[in-house]
Amino acid sequence: MSARSFVLGRFPSQEALYAAVRALRQAGRESIDLHSPYPLPGSDEVLGLKRSKVPLIALVGALTGIATAVAMQVWMNAVDYPLNVGNRGLVPYPALVPVTFELAVLFSALSIFFGMLGGLFGFPRPHHPVFEVDAFRSASVDALWLSVETPSAQAEGVAEELRRIGAADVAIAPEDA
Amino acid sequence: MTPPATAAARIDPLEPAPLIVGHPTDRVLNDEIFDPIWNPRRGWKYLFLLALGGTGLLVVGVTVTLARGIGVWGNNIPVAWAYDIINFVWWIGIGHAGTLISAILLLFQQKWRTSINRAAEAMTIFAVMQAGLFPLLHTGRPWFAFWLFPYPSTLGAWPNFKSPLVWDVFAVSTYFTVSLLFWYLGLIPDLAALRDTAKTKLRAMAYGIFALGWHGSARHWQHYRIAYLLLAALGTPLVLSVHTIVSFDFAVSQLPGWHTTIFPPYFVAGAVFSGFAMVMTILIPVRKLLGLERVITPRHLENMNKVMLATGMMVAYGYLMEHFIAWYGGNPNEAFVFANRRDGPYRGIYFMMLFCNVVVPQFFWWKRARNSIWWMWIAAVLINVGMWSERFIIIVTSLHRDFLPSSWGMYAPTWVDWSIFVGTISFFGLLFLLFLRYVPAVAAMEVKELNHELAHERARAAGQGAHP
Repeated sequence: MSARSFVLGRFPSQEALYAAVRALRQAGRESIDLHSPYPLPGSDEVLGLKRSKVPLIALVGALTGIATAVAMQVWMNAVDYPLNVGNRGLVPYPALVPVTFELAVLFSALSIFFGMLGGLFGFPRPHHPVFEVDAFRSASVDALWLSVETPSAQAEGVAEELRRIGAADVAIAPEDA
Repeated sequence: MTPPATAAARIDPLEPAPLIVGHPTDRVLNDEIFDPIWNPRRGWKYLFLLALGGTGLLVVGVTVTLARGIGVWGNNIPVAWAYDIINFVWWIGIGHAGTLISAILLLFQQKWRTSINRAAEAMTIFAVMQAGLFPLLHTGRPWFAFWLFPYPSTLGAWPNFKSPLVWDVFAVSTYFTVSLLFWYLGLIPDLAALRDTAKTKLRAMAYGIFALGWHGSARHWQHYRIAYLLLAALGTPLVLSVHTIVSFDFAVSQLPGWHTTIFPPYFVAGAVFSGFAMVMTILIPVRKLLGLERVITPRHLENMNKVMLATGMMVAYGYLMEHFIAWYGGNPNEAFVFANRRDGPYRGIYFMMLFCNVVVPQFFWWKRARNSIWWMWIAAVLINVGMWSERFIIIVTSLHRDFLPSSWGMYAPTWVDWSIFVGTISFFGLLFLLFLRYVPAVAAMEVKELNHELAHERARAAGQGAHP
């Protein structure tokens, strides 16, 4: 596989940014991404992103939590070491609710956090090629950027394309910089 | 028909003060919010030393307790639960406002939460840390605290899952973990902004490590937004469950004064009440000292005062209902406990509680009181005192006059109790000062987003004005 590069360009407004994405997608470009200091409304549609898997991860986490909690409480208090308190039932359903609820929340929250950051994003990843571009620092402060991931051989062409559709500060960040 | 000049005023005539003063650019907002980090305030060092000194009291109190056992505390039989549980419930309750502001107000799309959620969430985490210390020390042998968790011990025994105290372990540890994850997730974009605006290599690296490599990608924002909402949706029932379970510690027992069904909602309302009071106590000086007046405006403060008024009324209803049921229920033991609260030896604290929690918030019916910085700060401090008194009354007066008059007793805290309590307040202050020094106290990312939403609304209103 040949080396890849990120071509970066800054746009003055959200409208200009979205227009640029539409133009690039019409021209058949793929691997387009936007970088902004806050979430941009409507960016999912413009980029044509698929539905997020995060809710599914959360659901699986919650169900795992419920199953773990019920199995743990029943097995520990009724099977492995039957605990008779005042001759009440060994499996008192109402008393299982608090721990079951808490573990459902805990497992769901942990799977959202680690599933998204580690699984979907591949974090922690302190070195990303785009960080080599000094002007790109404004992406987390106040500027809107567009990036195209492309084979390094085509990077110059993409950069020219970005300049034509109104990008400022166009830069190329090679993968192995 | 309407002239465009009045269009801005038509956005929402019911909203008197803005959420963000002026129309700053993102860069200005960013620089203002991060300024206290890059240019530490002069007073910070002295406050830090003061808090460090106070934390010394905590170290002394804990050391004495560990060396000599909990006999050095004022606890006795019949008052076996005292300062440790009072302070546990008080601190846990304070934490609840943070989750309420960050999670519940997010789900209700209350835009005014944006400037205050970061500090309130930090308060939650630090308050829960203080809360956790007390039951841990009260076990007497905290080095065996892992017995609380289900682990395969050589004894072959497991925790009793029918016990509210075990539920509490799960509730509080889940609450702490989820609050921390939620806070950190919200922090990541700001950490990236700190990394990118840092002047020195070392700072950029330090913040870069914690930012995990965030680069504001739209592909990440898509998941991030949903994850943040889902964590808020999980946090909302969680915060209700935590104080409900704390109240179960009391309500599930058979003791008059504790054994009531009103406890869960009454505890949750009280928790939110005390938590907002603590947010106000901290945020009013912080807003001034860090120069955050542009993003924490009188509108935020007034809204918080309204929440305190509402939850204060709920707490007052709880007090009223407890006494009503004690009379209406016809149980002589319960009637005695409540009569003993009103005119027993601890009535001074009882009436202080009524004054602070029921009388003081009533002033917030007046707009002038809701907008007076001094009044709201004094009221917030008094409410903190009042809520602490409430926990004292619930715990001590229900215990000290037992069923048998021969086993009646009195409770008084010792110097060790006091030094641990004052020590936790200082330790809380210490953690909060570190937070203010190294992390933005206001969520810059969310303020920028709000800034754009407001600008968009203004533009739309102006557009409608021109073409009605």
